[in-house]
Amino acid sequence: MRRSLLRKLGERLLHKKIGTSVREEFLGDLEESYEDHRASKGKFIADVMYLFDALHLIYGFSSTSSKYPTRHAMFTGNMFRIAWRNAIRHKQFTILNLLGLTIGIATCIAIGLYVHDESTYDTFYPKRDRIYRVNQPMIWGDWNTQFASTGPGIAEAMIEDIPDFEQVARLYNPGESTIRIGGDQPKTFVESNFYWADSNVFRIFDFPFIAGDPSTALTKPNGVVITQRTAQRYFGNDDPMGKLIEWKQNDTTYTSYTVTGVMADIPKKSHIDADVFASLYSIPMFKTGHQTWIWTIYATYALVKEGTDMASLSNKMQLLPPKWAATTTQKVFNQDFNSWTKGKPWTLHLQPLSEIYLGSAPWPSWHRYGPSGNPQFVVIFSVIGILVLALSCINFMNLSTARSGTRAKEVGIRKVLGSDKSILVRQFIVESTLFVLAATVAALGLTQLSLGAFNLVADKQLDLFSHFGDVRFIGVLVAFIIALGVLAGSYPAFYLSAFRPAETLKGKVRTGFKRSMVRNSLVVFQFTVSIALIICTFFVQKQLSYAGNLNVGVVKDNVLQLQYMEQLNDVNALKNKLENNSAFTNVALSHSIPPNVWEGDRYKAEGPNPAVVDLSYLRCDEQYLPLLGVEFLVGRNFDPGNAADKHKVILNETAVKTLGWGTRDEWVKDSPLGKHVVQAFGQESKLEVIGVVKDFNFNPVRDKILPLLIMHNDNDLHWSYHTGPLFLSMRINSAAVESNDDLQEIIDKVQADVKSIDPSAIFQYSFMDEGFDNSFRTERRMGVILNLFTALAVIIACLGLFGLAAFAAEQRLKELGIRKVMGAKVHELVFLFSSEFTKLVMIAILLATPIAWYFTDRWLSSFAFRTPIDAWVFIVAAMSALAIAGLTVSYQAIAAARTNPVETLRNE
Amino acid sequence: MTPTSIGEFEELVLLAVCILDGNAYGITVKNEVEKHTNRTILLGAVHITLYRLQDKGLLQSELGNASEKRGDRRKRLFKITEKGMVLLRSAQEVRQKMWGLIPNVNTNS
Repeated sequence: MRRSLLRKLGERLLHKKIGTSVREEFLGDLEESYEDHRASKGKFIADVMYLFDALHLIYGFSSTSSKYPTRHAMFTGNMFRIAWRNAIRHKQFTILNLLGLTIGIATCIAIGLYVHDESTYDTFYPKRDRIYRVNQPMIWGDWNTQFASTGPGIAEAMIEDIPDFEQVARLYNPGESTIRIGGDQPKTFVESNFYWADSNVFRIFDFPFIAGDPSTALTKPNGVVITQRTAQRYFGNDDPMGKLIEWKQNDTTYTSYTVTGVMADIPKKSHIDADVFASLYSIPMFKTGHQTWIWTIYATYALVKEGTDMASLSNKMQLLPPKWAATTTQKVFNQDFNSWTKGKPWTLHLQPLSEIYLGSAPWPSWHRYGPSGNPQFVVIFSVIGILVLALSCINFMNLSTARSGTRAKEVGIRKVLGSDKSILVRQFIVESTLFVLAATVAALGLTQLSLGAFNLVADKQLDLFSHFGDVRFIGVLVAFIIALGVLAGSYPAFYLSAFRPAETLKGKVRTGFKRSMVRNSLVVFQFTVSIALIICTFFVQKQLSYAGNLNVGVVKDNVLQLQYMEQLNDVNALKNKLENNSAFTNVALSHSIPPNVWEGDRYKAEGPNPAVVDLSYLRCDEQYLPLLGVEFLVGRNFDPGNAADKHKVILNETAVKTLGWGTRDEWVKDSPLGKHVVQAFGQESKLEVIGVVKDFNFNPVRDKILPLLIMHNDNDLHWSYHTGPLFLSMRINSAAVESNDDLQEIIDKVQADVKSIDPSAIFQYSFMDEGFDNSFRTERRMGVILNLFTALAVIIACLGLFGLAAFAAEQRLKELGIRKVMGAKVHELVFLFSSEFTKLVMIAILLATPIAWYFTDRWLSSFAFRTPIDAWVFIVAAMSALAIAGLTVSYQAIAAARTNPVETLRNE
Repeated sequence: MTPTSIGEFEELVLLAVCILDGNAYGITVKNEVEKHTNRTILLGAVHITLYRLQDKGLLQSELGNASEKRGDRRKRLFKITEKGMVLLRSAQEVRQKMWGLIPNVNTNS
């Protein structure tokens, strides 16, 4: 009897969808009713009815099937029991599997917490979606990069010309401030989170107030709003409202502020980290109507009105600089707008609040105020987290498929007993999900245990427990367990369930190492990742030590530096005192200290049509260059005996070149000495060059050496005369310091000297070599974390390799036994056995080399002084990978090769 | 255990199983119910009901003989259980009692 298509379809579907226990009777009933229908209503109706009834049955029983024991208990009820038994029977595999997965998941959770923490800054501000910061080009250097600082005039122009802004407010943090709380016993505090702000700042950032009125707190000059913890710090438990705090000015006098408000502490995850907001109009130098566009020490924030079209707003912004900045350029530089900008576009950008903390290019990589995240780290760590997780999943998949040999018979028997492929697939997926669940629980524990150390290294305050209440976190975790369970389980599931029972039961299944292309490629992938990570880690360390040991052109060891000298009553008295201290060979004053010489200005060479160039400048006295140990190429240092020298300048080699006076060889014919540098604005005073020094790193060695102009700090022709921070540096006589106690004694002595001159002075010291080291702090931190993750990746890869080798050894016991009987030596067997794995590692080395080279090169390209990419690093990494892999495999190989052949062969 | 209640269609199926007395399986039950009620019933509905009743403990079943008409496939034969019988009876009694209380019906009969 031929069957119609409809009937066949119905039958097929029924076979697929209905459990075996009821399938037979359904098919029987369907057939019977088909015959009845055919007899009474004809074949076509019968066919249609057949399919219809079949579908109805499937529908009816799929919705209720869970209630019915449609599958044999053999296949379902004991799924968990079988999983457990398998886990217990193969302890080694279970431990390897769980260990690898746990490490992988723990790494992923830790990194996930880190990334989540980094990417959820500033999310608590109620108006966050409408808050923007104004950025402008870096007008003091590369106009193509954005600069998060703006002059105060921009805010005024925005309010005046553009109606789309609801509020515009400026913030200005003068750096470390000295705060004095008066009373019978005055107390002083160093306050680094002291901000001057426009009175409407609280309309943009809605900080909750505990006392005072946010709308009026800063409207009057010399009003100040402090956070709760600051109130506690300053006034203890007294009511801070209406109390006075005094802010120390550079001329060492104090201005008084009245506390007009107390606000809640700003949450840690805010890029504005203020503890004190003072009314902007209390700044001595700040006058309304000043409208200067080049006093770029402010951060300008804007709250746009709801429903504002950002594109057209951005267009309107671009009209502001030409219209408003021209007065400034005219007044300050005596140049019109276009000649001052040299035709470069003064583009104003509105950076959304959400992208400020972790903004990557083109947003500014540095903002003047508050903490900033490192988008590069977030990307690198995310990638590593995913890679480590992938490695551990691969382990899991590889070990499970490798075990297929032992489980092939089980699968065969289940199939013979009528188990469906889908049930087998489910069994394996349930097993792997249980594994992932167990590993996740273990990983959560492991993460919690190691989070303290991780926080220390990453400089974070991550907390795992606080996330347990978060539905999304739990959701992500559950989704992750299921997804990973299914993903990691699916390959073994489909691989194993596809076995033909007849063959597996006859023992024909081959699960040897050679056969499995997939497994081998996965091993290669694991080792490629591990080796590439090893190489990258190597170069990070190499670059760090290179940068640390680089000859920076100054003798950076044994230099003790005192900060806040500008706030000292009489710095020269202190200097005299210290000069008489035999522990110091040099004592010198300077307005900035390497590697943090950031001041710069515009200059030109004297002569017809000179180009205006940007020069960094360092202001110091005649003792500072000898103290640094800077080498003079030509000319001389400032001479204290010659009063005229205070108006003369010293250049570095690059500055001479930048000013167009040629390179070192050309100086013989045309010496730069005696030539004049002209300030390219205002009074255009001439500065005679009296010396040229060899280039030295006055910025972190990440940056290339810029042109530098060294002025005497008594040079009153420069606008910056007597402003800015002042440092007192001392070179310690290394002979006088034999132990840390000696050093401490020296420091204590200096502190006593400082206090004897000004009891309220802040005593803060540093060492120059620490300054250079600190400029690499983030990189060093990254290096440590990278080391850790690389080690984890290598461990996971080795765990996998170990498991595979163990499995292969088990599989090949008989082969090795026969070889041994035929006379093979143990070392030959070990070699034979290891060579297969070695081949895989070799392939991985070949793949990893270019990948690692590419990423290393990219990372190093952000350093002006970079370590060369040496071949030996690759060779060492390759050798160590081979050695690690070799050790891992050879343990199994030796064990297998040493087995007595009698043991392995007698069963046959 | 709470007393099991059954719906109208379930009651019909139970009755059909009793009528068929040992020869009750999907098709025959369907035909029986169709015969008495004059409505068309889907095979699937019968099967689902049969299994549901078995789940409630009102029916029991065993695999019966194969017949050629069924393509050599066995059928599942359903039998009413003690509990099923009790339930059926009590349902009948309830109806009887309620019928007896309808005034019009009483006067007319």
